[in-house]
Amino acid sequence: MSTVLERTKAPARERARTVGRRRRKGLVGALYAAPTAVMVGLFFVVPLLLVVWMSLHRWPLLAPPTLNVPDNYTKIGDNQLVGSAVWFTVKYTVLLTVLLFGLALGLALLVQRRRRGVGFFRTAFFLPMAVGFASASLLFLGLLSDEIGPINGFLRWLGVVDGYISWTSGSGTSALSSAMLLVLWRFAGFNMLILLTGLQAIPLEIYEAARIDGAGRWQIFRRVTLPLLRPTIALVLTMMTTGSLLAFDQFWILTRGGPDNTTTSLVMVIYREAFIKLDLGSAAAISVALLVALVVVNVVQLGVLRRRSS
Amino acid sequence: MQRTSRANRFAFSATGGALAILFLFPLLWSGYASLRTSSGFGLENYDRLFTSDNGIRPHNVVNSLTVSALTVGGTLLVATLGGYAFGRFKFWGKEALFLVTLAILMVPYATILIALYVLLGWLGLQDSLIGLSLVLIMFQLPFSLFMMRNSFEAVPAELDESAQVDGCNSFSTLTRILLPAVRPGLITVGLFAFLTSWNEFFAPLILLNSTDKFTTTLAVVNMRTASHGSIDYAALEAGVVVMAVPCLILFAFMQRSYVRGFTSGALKG
Amino acid sequence: MISRKVQAAAAFSAVLLAAALGGCSKDTPAASSAAAVDDGAQLTLWTRAATEAVSKSYAEAYNKTHKNQVTVTAYPNEEYPAKLASAAGAKSLPDLFGSDVVFAAQYASQGLWQDVTDRFAASGVKDKVSPAHVRAGTWDGRNYAVPHTIDMSVMLYNKDLYAKAGLDPEKPPTTLKEFAEQARKVNKLGGDVHGTYFGGNCGGCVEFTFWPSVWGSGGNVIDDAGTTAKIDSKEMADVFALYRSLYDDGTAAPASKDEAGPTWLGALQSGKIGIAPGPSVWLGLIEEKGIKMGVAPITGLDGGDSTFVGGDAMGIGATSTKSAQAWDFLNWTMSEEAQVEVIAKNKGVPIRTDLASNKYSSADPRIVMINSLAAKGKTPYAKNFNASFNDPQSPWLQTVRGALFGDAATALSQGNTAITKSLQQS
Repeated sequence: MSTVLERTKAPARERARTVGRRRRKGLVGALYAAPTAVMVGLFFVVPLLLVVWMSLHRWPLLAPPTLNVPDNYTKIGDNQLVGSAVWFTVKYTVLLTVLLFGLALGLALLVQRRRRGVGFFRTAFFLPMAVGFASASLLFLGLLSDEIGPINGFLRWLGVVDGYISWTSGSGTSALSSAMLLVLWRFAGFNMLILLTGLQAIPLEIYEAARIDGAGRWQIFRRVTLPLLRPTIALVLTMMTTGSLLAFDQFWILTRGGPDNTTTSLVMVIYREAFIKLDLGSAAAISVALLVALVVVNVVQLGVLRRRSS
Repeated sequence: MQRTSRANRFAFSATGGALAILFLFPLLWSGYASLRTSSGFGLENYDRLFTSDNGIRPHNVVNSLTVSALTVGGTLLVATLGGYAFGRFKFWGKEALFLVTLAILMVPYATILIALYVLLGWLGLQDSLIGLSLVLIMFQLPFSLFMMRNSFEAVPAELDESAQVDGCNSFSTLTRILLPAVRPGLITVGLFAFLTSWNEFFAPLILLNSTDKFTTTLAVVNMRTASHGSIDYAALEAGVVVMAVPCLILFAFMQRSYVRGFTSGALKG
Repeated sequence: MISRKVQAAAAFSAVLLAAALGGCSKDTPAASSAAAVDDGAQLTLWTRAATEAVSKSYAEAYNKTHKNQVTVTAYPNEEYPAKLASAAGAKSLPDLFGSDVVFAAQYASQGLWQDVTDRFAASGVKDKVSPAHVRAGTWDGRNYAVPHTIDMSVMLYNKDLYAKAGLDPEKPPTTLKEFAEQARKVNKLGGDVHGTYFGGNCGGCVEFTFWPSVWGSGGNVIDDAGTTAKIDSKEMADVFALYRSLYDDGTAAPASKDEAGPTWLGALQSGKIGIAPGPSVWLGLIEEKGIKMGVAPITGLDGGDSTFVGGDAMGIGATSTKSAQAWDFLNWTMSEEAQVEVIAKNKGVPIRTDLASNKYSSADPRIVMINSLAAKGKTPYAKNFNASFNDPQSPWLQTVRGALFGDAATALSQGNTAITKSLQQS
């Protein structure tokens, strides 16, 4: 408003100078943003277009590509492994998102208020985040192994099991549970921290007011905490679903997609198409399909959360 | 009243304590397993980790450090300049660029890696640590740029105005006045870039293919596919510890500013 | 500077090659060495961990007597195919690389190796080396790879456990049914001793060790063109049923079900397994642990020796600029000198059929037996072998799991369809 007033008041020459200065400032800003633009353009936008372009071709490792549209896409429907991987990935994503969100919110509520021991607890919950995901997968591989892991010995001592048990490849359920346990351990603290910052942003007065109105704990949680936490929840849920749909490390390292392909995720299928079947075109087509699905999921999810909050 | 609060405090400590033990147990166990030998405790597993055919070689560590240094440096440079641009300037295409950068978060990382692999081949950066670092910088950008923009926005505009009155141009304003003010953001961005690049597995798996370029993560994961008839779990856990220790140390040093940076930066927007 | 020298050398050798092919009708040794150049080039060679030891002994011996110097890099078995693929896509293949013989057709068809048809023909050894390996490296009638190592599947049994169980350590089973009986007898020893062991979660392990029994019983697995699966046969069903019963009654160690390959050798090295089919090259690795081992052919249900002739083939990387020097190395590996003084001396199986009996093999009758098996064995050939049979997500592994631990009949019939489909994918 004030700039508009100034501009109308200023004489023409002055105005030209302001416009010039503003233009120069815009140029300077663009200059500072240039490295970002180059990085994002070259290593994100170009590959994004390239993956679509590749999906329209037969793309051998060495020979020049040839157009074969829409073969790579029709092949997807034919690929049984894609079918089972989609089903598995969705199942994993739903299960994990629910459990991880529940655990992270629980932890955040537990350590929400400053009291004795809270600092230690927060650090303890958050510390697994310092271990890389691949390393964490290897850690659990040993932890759950029959060879040196303490779990089997302990259960045998309790008399719950006897003999040899393989958690990571014994059955589909135990392999999936192993991987989920790993992800819960690794990521709960991180999500707790984000939820915690959201919780702490809620002014104490609102709680006070609710309490004076005679609201119980549960009511406060449902009517005050949850609604005000919604933007943070949206962020956390989006990160969780995106992360789960892209699951690779945990299954590649911990379960190798087995047993019986029960834990073969979509990204593993993409890797297999590209580097085992040497079919980069098909890998690109599955990538594009996954990409579209993910964008749709995210848009729907954000839409729902936003509508609910308004 | 007194009693309920004491019971309350006990319930809190018991739940928190039990959970803390569960969360710390795997970490403590891996340390224990890596030191445990057939004859008690010792460094034999670490010895095997660094000397047997299958394990970490010095060049793996050098490669990891190189990639981490390039990624941290590159991310800080690009995100600081970018954050400054987005936090302080108006320019053509600003909104679009910001949205496209954030879209990186929404796009399955793994899906464009196949294309990145082909693209880096065209650029002559396949199987190169620089190529890998550039990709990692790109994947760090959405978070880092967001963080730095918010950090710059949180600095009062009067600071730069007075600097400009003192004759600073936009660049010296950035280096002399603003950088110290956004330090918590820088630390968070740098820490995250380090953690990601030091631990990254999928990108090097696809983008590196000669053993002399392999990072520590690849070397340690390769121990899982042992070639001598058995998986050397104890040496594997030693590898996990070696991978984790630098991260834990950084955490211990930076936890405070990290959390502060996170709170002030990531969630404000 | 270096690259110009290499180019000159390559051009020079091309001229000589043309001269050799055009001028001489007889392949004299002089002509074949003319196509190969030994000028002090640095050659890179990639191999998988399973073959590392052999590739390194080849390279060591070659480097001692040649100006060219070969450097060997080994990759974990499971990661190796993917690493090759990504190196190919990056146009950064090594000068030489080996491949599991069953994957060779895929690399040949994709053009990952240079065409060596003329050089191979001029070498004079083409019809003296393992024909299965030569075929594996052939695509559209052109040769892309030559034999590098041979590894065959055999029955390995623990002589001490045999004696303890009251079996004659010098009388290994002569039929697969006898194998099961003897395994059960050893299993009666109890404790942590088990009768047998197999890789029940490993497609490659099962094909390597079970297929010889199917072949020995008169059955087949895939057709000659490598495009149609033939696993829904009675022979295949019977072989699976026999192993399944061994697992069900606890004769096979429980870990067999989850064995994905990496710890297979370790299980046999533990000295707690009575008898199990496995790679012949493990004989030395198991005896290193102080266990006395016997070796016998894998047999059909009622007899009939057979074996899976595995091992590696090696060719010149498609993007290599030192093909003449690389060929010099390959050509040398097939020489009598290399096969006797490197391979046979280390108790390996020579890739040269004419050198099966040599001054070293006679010292150990077990080696003579193993060498003699090569002629009775088979190597399956298919372009999509890895994706169909070996990869952890392959339809074959699905079939194996069903046949051993699930609904066997459906697994085999559905598996046959799925594998055929996978084999036929372009």
